[in-house]
Amino acid sequence: MSMNEVVAVIAAILVSPIIGGLVAGLDRKVTARLQGRYGPPILQPFYDVLKLFGKEKMIVNYWQIFCAYMYLVADVLTIILLALQSDLLLIFFVLAVGGVFLVIGALAAESPYSQIGAQRELIQMLTYEPLLILVFVGIYLETGSFKISEIIANYNQPLLLSLPLLFVVMGYALVIKLKKSPFDIATSHHAHQEIVKGVLTEYSGPYLAIIEISHWYETVFLLGLCALFWHTSFVWMAVLVVATYFGEVLVDNVCARLTWRWMLPHAWTGGLIMAFANYFWIYEKIG
Amino acid sequence: MLDELIGISILLPFIAGTLCFLVKDHRVRAGIIVATGIALTIDSLLLFQGLSGSYSYTPESLLGIDINSLITFADFALLFIILAIAFKLGNPLIILLTLLQIVPLGYFELKMAHHVEVTPAFYIDSLSVIMNLIISIVGSLICIFGIRYMEEHEHHLHLKKSRQPRFFFFLVLFLGAMNGLVFANNLLWLYFFWEVTTFCSFMLIGHDRTEIAIRNATRALWMNMSGGVAFVAAIILIFHTTGSVEYLSLQTLINHGPALTSALLLPFSLLCFSGFTKAAQVPFQSWLCGAMVAPTPVSALLHSSTMVKAGVYLVVRLAPGYQGTFLSTMVATFGAFTFLTASALAVNMSNGKKILAYSTIANLGLIIACAGINTPAAIIAAVLLIIFHAISKGLLFLCVGTIEHAIGSRDIEDMRGLYNSMPAVSRITIIGILTMMLPPFGALMSKWMAIEAAAHIPWVVVMVALGSGLTVLFWARWAGLFVSGPHLKVFEADKDSGLLGPFVTMFKGFATKVKWNAPASIKVPMVSLAVGAIVLSLAVPWLYTTLVDPVLSSYRPGVFVEPFRTGPLGITSGTGAFYVLPVFLFSILGYIVAVAAVKRKGHRVISAPYMCGEQYADCAQPKFRSHLNSWKDYIAANIYMQDIIGEEKISYWINIVSLVILIVLFGEVLR
Amino acid sequence: MKSLINKSRVKSPWLIHFDCGSCNGCDIEVLACLTPVYDIERFGILNVGNPKHADILLVTGTVNHRNKKALKNVYDQMPEPKVVVAIGACGTTGGVFREAYNVVGGVDKVIPVDAYVSGCAPKPEAIIDGVIIALGKLAEKGKRVDQGIFERLEQTQTNIKKR
Ligand code: SF4
Repeated sequence: MSMNEVVAVIAAILVSPIIGGLVAGLDRKVTARLQGRYGPPILQPFYDVLKLFGKEKMIVNYWQIFCAYMYLVADVLTIILLALQSDLLLIFFVLAVGGVFLVIGALAAESPYSQIGAQRELIQMLTYEPLLILVFVGIYLETGSFKISEIIANYNQPLLLSLPLLFVVMGYALVIKLKKSPFDIATSHHAHQEIVKGVLTEYSGPYLAIIEISHWYETVFLLGLCALFWHTSFVWMAVLVVATYFGEVLVDNVCARLTWRWMLPHAWTGGLIMAFANYFWIYEKIG
Repeated sequence: MLDELIGISILLPFIAGTLCFLVKDHRVRAGIIVATGIALTIDSLLLFQGLSGSYSYTPESLLGIDINSLITFADFALLFIILAIAFKLGNPLIILLTLLQIVPLGYFELKMAHHVEVTPAFYIDSLSVIMNLIISIVGSLICIFGIRYMEEHEHHLHLKKSRQPRFFFFLVLFLGAMNGLVFANNLLWLYFFWEVTTFCSFMLIGHDRTEIAIRNATRALWMNMSGGVAFVAAIILIFHTTGSVEYLSLQTLINHGPALTSALLLPFSLLCFSGFTKAAQVPFQSWLCGAMVAPTPVSALLHSSTMVKAGVYLVVRLAPGYQGTFLSTMVATFGAFTFLTASALAVNMSNGKKILAYSTIANLGLIIACAGINTPAAIIAAVLLIIFHAISKGLLFLCVGTIEHAIGSRDIEDMRGLYNSMPAVSRITIIGILTMMLPPFGALMSKWMAIEAAAHIPWVVVMVALGSGLTVLFWARWAGLFVSGPHLKVFEADKDSGLLGPFVTMFKGFATKVKWNAPASIKVPMVSLAVGAIVLSLAVPWLYTTLVDPVLSSYRPGVFVEPFRTGPLGITSGTGAFYVLPVFLFSILGYIVAVAAVKRKGHRVISAPYMCGEQYADCAQPKFRSHLNSWKDYIAANIYMQDIIGEEKISYWINIVSLVILIVLFGEVLR
Repeated sequence: MKSLINKSRVKSPWLIHFDCGSCNGCDIEVLACLTPVYDIERFGILNVGNPKHADILLVTGTVNHRNKKALKNVYDQMPEPKVVVAIGACGTTGGVFREAYNVVGGVDKVIPVDAYVSGCAPKPEAIIDGVIIALGKLAEKGKRVDQGIFERLEQTQTNIKKR
């Protein structure tokens, strides 16, 4: 590992949660404004997490502690691999580890809410995982590599221009991963829902804080993926990321929550059709 | 030296099996089985050590009898035994299928090609050695597990007369037949061993002689016999098109000249078809699911190291022969379709063994898809998947078998909270599950390779992507169910706190007050498979350079360039990288942190799950207050999506679509 | 660090609303606090549905013999530090239902209450005011929690064996 990489990794580990937290704060502020409210301070997510760390530890089963930490570890590793610009699929698989441990932790508590939440979370994973793989395959077809470093080095055109439909497909995955309506089925980033807090119901205090921090890491990872679609120019990258996130917030605010029975078939069909259309486009272009 | 090793690995199981059958004392029998297992393991390791590149061997005679005639004789004897069984079962289909093999084969041996001499008779390269290692080590461990398991099994059944001699006869014989199968170069010999495995599996599936066991065994028989028919047809066609027995040598057949490619496509398709039936691909999946009625060692053996692996072995072995043809694409499509549909079926199963069965079928589908994609990277993915799947799946079957004996159910809903009562077995099962689905473990790494290799065939990669999403779903919730449950006071951490704590915990778990009372013959196979699954995943760069890579070079010398490079970090290819070691180290680090967090001392409240304020005060018994202050239990269950992808509902359509794929395959090949 | 955490406690009170036996008058006023007009999220307040995530318990309505167990359970499932706000005439004293045969009385008959909001029904401003008063207590309790003092009710939790 070169010096640069070491710096990148350390920076990623330290800076990501700050960015993630700020994004979450902005998200709440913008959401409030869209609803005609004043909204909480931008730093609110940090207050929340700090407060949670100061709470009494309360668990149903010690596996929750274990799984919360494993979730964090997996997400940190995701960010590290992203900072090292490694293989997209590998990063994705590591991301899935986090999801799996979140679910195992939720299943560990015999609470009906967290159990149902866990099942729904699994179905959400089932929905977005293939879609993300398809996006990565599209990137590979276009650039000839799965490695971020090589994509950045060898491909000098914004990916968005050749993979617009796959970008939309990734939008589905983003909605699910960021717990936004209409796909905040397993747990919502809003206060509560019909199954209380879904997967997160039984995590509390410091463990909830850990999960929240992992979620910030995830947010940064997802925004990083977004940024990859316009890696040639810094300004446009920023515009794209901001626009995408704002789009997600907008979708969140105008949509009602749907059921997984709606989500699974629709996201898959829509995603598959768009992915195929985009693949054929790439093939056409390559000739 | 190698000659003897080859001979031992095939003949020793035959002899040991016969001894098992003859010996009545079960302790002596156990001794024989353990000794055979150890001998086979050493034998396969020596073979692995001694082999460089490839090795050919043609035995002349066995005890003064010409082996060729011996095998021909045994072949017909076997077919006639099956015919007799078919008559006894009164199953016209099997009679027909058997006759369809006897008559053409007789015609072929007597009329068409008079004395078939193929040299070399055995051809051993890395692929064979890998298969041999799997069969000898994993297979032997399963046989050893079977010793104690069958005692308990017969105890449960209250048998008057032990039927174990017969059981172990077939079980051990199976290993020999598989070894022969992976070594054979002469197609006729390969066919003989092929039929022996069919026969053994029939006998083993029907071992319990219940009505359902016999029905499922019959189904397994006819499906595999149809594969046998295709095999015979392929042999005759090869001879017919090429006009020489030369091409009955597997190596010559694979490395045929480009002129013969189109002519040999039909025999190749038939051989692949035969492999599909054996590997229980859709629409033949039902025999493998039906095989669940057999005692657990049988399922473990069929699923991990033998039988189904014979099917994928053949398809992978033949892969260079049909590279770049239409057949190759169709094989990829077919395999990917099986992967997707079998994963979907696994999602709506709550029967643990059936989940394992469908997951096996799915993984075999992925292996076959890799063979069909037919790039060097894909072949490597296939071989690695064969290895890792064998270990993890063998382990999981042993776990389910043990759990079933303990709790009397194989339903995963009944395994809820099993960690509290059977921590050791649960821990091993969870390890087995995680090695099947998470990085940095080998099975997932092979999947990574498969996806990267499949990337240029869009419909294949789509099916693989959807399928892999489904696999995560059913594995994750199963692992979660084990730890689901109340917090018990078996939490004993005093002794192993401190720096060593996390490591001790890795082996002893959190809950140490519950002891694992099982004999060594149960413990040793399970623990060694679990350790093997983890260690081999870590050692994947080594595994790759010493074992898997030579597969390619011996495969088609000079044609394939190395698709992957190994380094201290893991495996990299031109298009991607899989850092095994860093991921592994980081996970271990995370694991230690997580365990330390669990064990941290201090104030901690154990609370009942949230029940809107109506929970029962004792959190070890989750209940809620219902009407008239009565306490009611509640259960939460998994979503099995039976209304969307129920087994009965979609099996029909899956079978139709897969048949269509097969018809297209053959139609196009025939054209 | 500790002072930062304690500051955060005040800045991020998540509240759970428990309806004991309210006529729904108070409930509507509580929910009115969430609307854009009052927007309690300004103060970082979230209305969560789960005592395990909550810091403040808002109780409306009279406590009766049936729901006092539930109230106590919900209170117990809140991790420390936590405060309770009793809302409305009913919540503080039992209100007009005080003499009913099935009524226990105000919330403080069952669990310790930190702030009382009077009124029938109280205005949203008053509720917010009550919450703000309770926040002062929350900070105090937080300091005690930091010192390792936890004020759990007896016999409701299976505490882990002291090691
Ligand atoms: S205080 Fe008044 S408004 Fe509130 S619950 Fe009691 S009666 Fe209803």
